Amino acid sequence: MSEANNKVVLSVKDLEVTFRKGRQRVSAVAGISFDLYEGETLGLVGESGCGKSTTGRALMQIVPSTGGQIFVDGDELTSLNKDEARNLRRKMQMIFQDPISSLNPRRRVKDIVAEPLDCWKLAKGAERDSIVSDLLNKVGIDPAVYGNRYARQFSGGQCQRISIARSLAMRPRLLICDEVVSALDVSIQAQILNLLEDLKKEYGLTMLFIAHDLAVVKNISDRVAVMYLGKLCEIGPSDTLYAKPAHPYTEFLLGAALEADPELEQSSATLGGEPPSPLNPPSGCRFRTRCPFATEKCAAEEPQLRDIGEGHQVACHFPLVGAHQ
Amino acid sequence: MSQEINSTNQNPAGDLLVVENLTTTFQTARGALPAVGGVSFRLGANEILGVVGESGSGKTVLSRTIMGLQPRTNVEVGGSVLLDGHQIVGATDEDLRDIWGTKVAMIFQDPMTSLNPVTKIGKQIGESLQVRLGMNKAEAKARVIELLTLVGIPSPEERYDAYPTQLSGGMRQRVMIAIALACNPTLLLADEPTTGLDVTIQAQILNLLDELQLKMKMSVILVTHDLGVVATRTDRIIVMYAGRIVEMGTTKEVFRNHKMPYTRALLESTPRVSNPSHTRLQTIPGRPPNLLKLTEGCAFAPRCSRATEKCSQERPTLEPTGVDGHYFACWNPLEDQAAPVSIQTGTIKEIGEDNVRG
Repeated sequence: MSEANNKVVLSVKDLEVTFRKGRQRVSAVAGISFDLYEGETLGLVGESGCGKSTTGRALMQIVPSTGGQIFVDGDELTSLNKDEARNLRRKMQMIFQDPISSLNPRRRVKDIVAEPLDCWKLAKGAERDSIVSDLLNKVGIDPAVYGNRYARQFSGGQCQRISIARSLAMRPRLLICDEVVSALDVSIQAQILNLLEDLKKEYGLTMLFIAHDLAVVKNISDRVAVMYLGKLCEIGPSDTLYAKPAHPYTEFLLGAALEADPELEQSSATLGGEPPSPLNPPSGCRFRTRCPFATEKCAAEEPQLRDIGEGHQVACHFPLVGAHQ
Repeated sequence: MSQEINSTNQNPAGDLLVVENLTTTFQTARGALPAVGGVSFRLGANEILGVVGESGSGKTVLSRTIMGLQPRTNVEVGGSVLLDGHQIVGATDEDLRDIWGTKVAMIFQDPMTSLNPVTKIGKQIGESLQVRLGMNKAEAKARVIELLTLVGIPSPEERYDAYPTQLSGGMRQRVMIAIALACNPTLLLADEPTTGLDVTIQAQILNLLDELQLKMKMSVILVTHDLGVVATRTDRIIVMYAGRIVEMGTTKEVFRNHKMPYTRALLESTPRVSNPSHTRLQTIPGRPPNLLKLTEGCAFAPRCSRATEKCSQERPTLEPTGVDGHYFACWNPLEDQAAPVSIQTGTIKEIGEDNVRG
């Protein structure tokens, strides 16, 4: 958290996203709140269908949020009209999972990276070229050699570098990364993770890093938030949360992550069953149907996120640590 | 899955699978692509062998070639795959059909595209029972329900009539496993069986495979890119790079005393849950080589910090370390695990010309 300070860049209050499925409603994100401080990286983990990607997309208003508020540097995004929202969104950029399909295969790399500048008419001519060259250099792609090539000529890792360069063209405050390394091989994944760490320092970025890989998320994040079925279970500093998970779901999730070490005693306790359908979520705590510690209280009353010290918050009636509070 | 079951190299008679100098070459418009470039190994009974490598290392093509599954045209297979006395290379379709299911079966990565979406799962599992084992409909149905129970699908009688789209990813993978195990194969090839699944579901499926391997006394080849999976679930591993084996040995030995710089680089570029956050990751510069343009030397040499002139001229062969059937292919092997190799860190500023496709 060394670079992070107390200035809130992004504040999310009771964010909800509900999709219609025929006559039914799926609440993909069911009221989550968190703050993102300047210079920090918040990791958002959870299994497929927990709403982590939908959260990222709703923050960019790629999918409309159906409730709650999103404050970017104090400005509320959801109540703005289209033009105002578009203007505010200049501060936010997003990078997606599939780097190859995120880029137009028939455009030249330098034009892809320059597109945000062109859209906002921020630079042209020599200035535009020099900004683009600088960005490509920053992400490790030589503009003199590769600037005129087409996106289709690059591998996944290189496409992800180009996506990153494009996202930085607007000099954003906030970068939302949605599973940006999950399609890459480990050696390429390490390159991209290190690159993001370097660029974060250099550009003073604040990041929301959405991923399912627990080791990747811990590596890059200052704080981590765990989602289950549209709700936040737990949020806290990475090292604390991984060492002392307070929510039973977090503990199972960490137990299922396999460490690449054959001599380490690894937990083989597995979580039974599968997540319930978001069409018909359980009453009270959404995790209670798979939780070994669930009681009647869990069915009757929904646990709210509460502080258990050291910036660690948990939504559980019977947390594994800090229960004395 | 005990670690005691080691390489059975000392006892070739006991080997279930003997692969010798296996090559799989695809004829492409741009030339011959050696996806598997001369692979030899043995697999003992009841052994779990992990095959690891990055995309394009040839691990999937290797497993498909062992199964005898490859396109009919534009592919050349050389060498030998002897499975329990049956030669797979050059076998006719009828020969292969005799082996598939009963001797060798395969689980694929994506259960949704491997299952027929318009056929009930009970029928898909029962198909081989009726065709291969000659069971009648009622016998097959009873056995299918047994198999569904075995792979942990709740209320199997009801699920018998379910379509694949009605099941979750984890459940579909259980159905795939049931299909593979229907005729009691002696060798199970699992190609990235948990890659699309969530971690908690992955743990369920891996535990299930463990349990079934013991119960059914199978050998398993587990193909994966996930080092966590191989570390915890295999007896022995093969590390592949550019279509060849670069290191092979018992899982413990390879993780602890790897000799090949690529193996170390792979291990060190993997983020770990046990490391504090913001631990700088080691990276391997560059990208895997283009198989169409392989040179005479070691394929890893252009990315290797220990490479010498010899590495780019002469390809190293697999040599034994003398420990537990541990082999490596490297001219400048890592001496001592205490001395860390200096793999380049940080952003790669130079990406070589030939690293760009097209």
